[in-house]
Amino acid sequence: MAKRVVITGMGIVSAIGVGKDAHLCALMKGKSGVGKIRYLQTKHTDIPIGEVKMSDDEMKLLLGIAPESVITRTPLMGKIALKEAMQDSGITDASRVAFINGTTVGGMEKSEKYYMDFFEGKKTDYIAAHDCGAGTDMIAETFGKFDLITTLSTACSSAVNSIIMGGDLIRSGRVEAAIVGGAESLSKFHLNGFNTLMILDRKVCNPFDAQRNGLNLGEGAAYIVLESEESAKTRNANILCELKGYGNACDAFHQTASSPTGEGAYLAMKKALEDAGLNSEQIDYVNAHGTGTGNNDLCESVSIQRLFGEKIPHFSSTKSFTGHATSAAGGIEAVISILALLNDFVPGCCQFQSPIEETGLVPVKGCLKNVNLQNVMNNSFGFGGNDSSCIFSKIR
Amino acid sequence: MRIFIRSAAQISIQNPLCDEWFENPIFYSQTHNRSIDPDFKSFIPIMEARRMGRVMKRAIVTSKSVIPEENRATLDAILTGTGLGSVEDTEKFLNALLKNDEEMLPPSNFMNSTHNTIGSIIALNFKCHGYNLTSAHRGTSFDSICFDAYLQFLKGAKNILVGGHDEMTADYFALFDQIGFWKKEPFTADTLKESSTKGTFAGETAVSFWLSAEDGGDSLCSILGVDLLYKPSQQRLQESLDTMLAQSGLTRDDIDAIVLNCNGDVENDTVSREVAEAILPNVQQLYYKHLFGDSFTMSAMGLYISAVCLHRREIPAHLIYRSGAGNKRPRTFLLHNHYQNKDHSFMLLSV
Repeated sequence: MAKRVVITGMGIVSAIGVGKDAHLCALMKGKSGVGKIRYLQTKHTDIPIGEVKMSDDEMKLLLGIAPESVITRTPLMGKIALKEAMQDSGITDASRVAFINGTTVGGMEKSEKYYMDFFEGKKTDYIAAHDCGAGTDMIAETFGKFDLITTLSTACSSAVNSIIMGGDLIRSGRVEAAIVGGAESLSKFHLNGFNTLMILDRKVCNPFDAQRNGLNLGEGAAYIVLESEESAKTRNANILCELKGYGNACDAFHQTASSPTGEGAYLAMKKALEDAGLNSEQIDYVNAHGTGTGNNDLCESVSIQRLFGEKIPHFSSTKSFTGHATSAAGGIEAVISILALLNDFVPGCCQFQSPIEETGLVPVKGCLKNVNLQNVMNNSFGFGGNDSSCIFSKIR
Repeated sequence: MRIFIRSAAQISIQNPLCDEWFENPIFYSQTHNRSIDPDFKSFIPIMEARRMGRVMKRAIVTSKSVIPEENRATLDAILTGTGLGSVEDTEKFLNALLKNDEEMLPPSNFMNSTHNTIGSIIALNFKCHGYNLTSAHRGTSFDSICFDAYLQFLKGAKNILVGGHDEMTADYFALFDQIGFWKKEPFTADTLKESSTKGTFAGETAVSFWLSAEDGGDSLCSILGVDLLYKPSQQRLQESLDTMLAQSGLTRDDIDAIVLNCNGDVENDTVSREVAEAILPNVQQLYYKHLFGDSFTMSAMGLYISAVCLHRREIPAHLIYRSGAGNKRPRTFLLHNHYQNKDHSFMLLSV
């Protein structure tokens, strides 16, 4: 019998605020964090994005880091979320704890700024801060001590894959606790990348709507503390919920587009259900990947219909609140899913009007309160068909 | 648990897709070196290859070389370690972005710039819907993904493709040169061993392994344990090794060699030697980066050369870093890797 993995803490920063209380409040009130560009330096000022409403310097101040210190934006957000998660869990000694971080853009937001300087021997401290692992390293240094750390990079599903690897680590008995999730800052590089793919909405995105017109990029960081049930009980930790199961599958269809049958998404969700030992009727809410692009939302809807048949659970995408925080998205949405689970509410698609013709699926509109949630599913899909899903359940 | 390495293939600055480095290694004295590529045409249709950068083409070739056709679609996992992904695509997009002031950009370079493109292109080629994961954690990117492979086998996986892939473009080389990654003074493979200066020389990595829960009768060797550690104390390293040995029913006396990541950088090598002397004093020490150069995933080559040596039950003299105790016909190796003395890894291998 595999070890039971529980969640004993979480921390989050995104476009809708800093900390889980701010998130709960914004989600309940239906307050979106997507808006006009304020911090990112780009000429595409007409594209709305979900920025964390703090400059690098303000984050340094919040963290007590010297203004002149060399650090990119991703680890700044990561440190804020990690601190909250650690405090929330009550873990004071991380020397036997794993830290698994999902990220893809790395230090690009500084590299694109200083790239030409680098070749002239200026700002060279940021060269070593460019790669994905560098960001993880800087976040981990907040506490100085972890037993092992690593970085996973599967684009937009990176953070859910961190949750999966953390679950496997605890089930294997290698560690008793793992802090997992992701961090990603906006960059001119990927804003332009998504723009060339012509999938950025010029308004706040409208996931699962027939008139949807693309996604809004976002940024942020979120971590959850996974722990073996024994360890959590031994130290009298506050157990929030259980990580019941998870699945990862590859669509193996196209480098950026999803297959019309939603094969990868379907398999990831199906594996998660099997791993959790649940049947599809037991899922009460799906926090969908729901980016707002024509392709993703149709394929995800098809895969949801394939898995759930006639009995479609409540589902919604919270990306119209946070924007699509790419590698951090799965972490942010894991925290949101857990907040929903613990507070028995479903955050809705705030602008939804008409269902996608092919599937007719209607997501939750507005905030649905006083729903009895037992099991919630969190989907995250990435470029290359890297699809992952995980399930959180109330402790009975 | 025993994980069998059923086959392995490499493209590097040594002759590709073979083991000529064993008898006739090529020695380098330049700091920037690019891999000797095989003829991609015999592996990838020309039209398809045109859309791929080098790092992806190499990944496809080494992956196809190790996984028989009938096993490709049914792999339980495709696992990729890469420190930087397709640098070529990332640079093309970044340069266009800066040059064209955020206009008229090439979408394909952006699509290929994410690290997981390598693993997903393999999955696409293999029509494999299995678990697919990419690790990008500096010098332990490959070690991290091997660690995940170990976890997948614990969960009952039968067949897994694991790869380590990194390229080094001229521009990235120049950037790393700015921060002292490469040797400033002349060097040879021999002088690297006694080097008292910072820096190493660059290579590129494309190594793939077919790992299996079953022997199949033709395995190169087997992996008995994998562990990752962050800023470990000497005591923590000892503990990790002891746990791994105990789980395998072995003792330190069974280890015929420790394979180190020594690359001629005095700071890197001092750490490696200190670890070796602390955990396995007197045991012979091997190295490989003097033949292959360095990259974020060069530890994959450490696994590669170890698997070949154990399969042949022979250690070529040019791999010996420090001579010491150990069977002339080796059975068991311990691989140690570290990155800047922060991330450390162990892998225990046996015939």
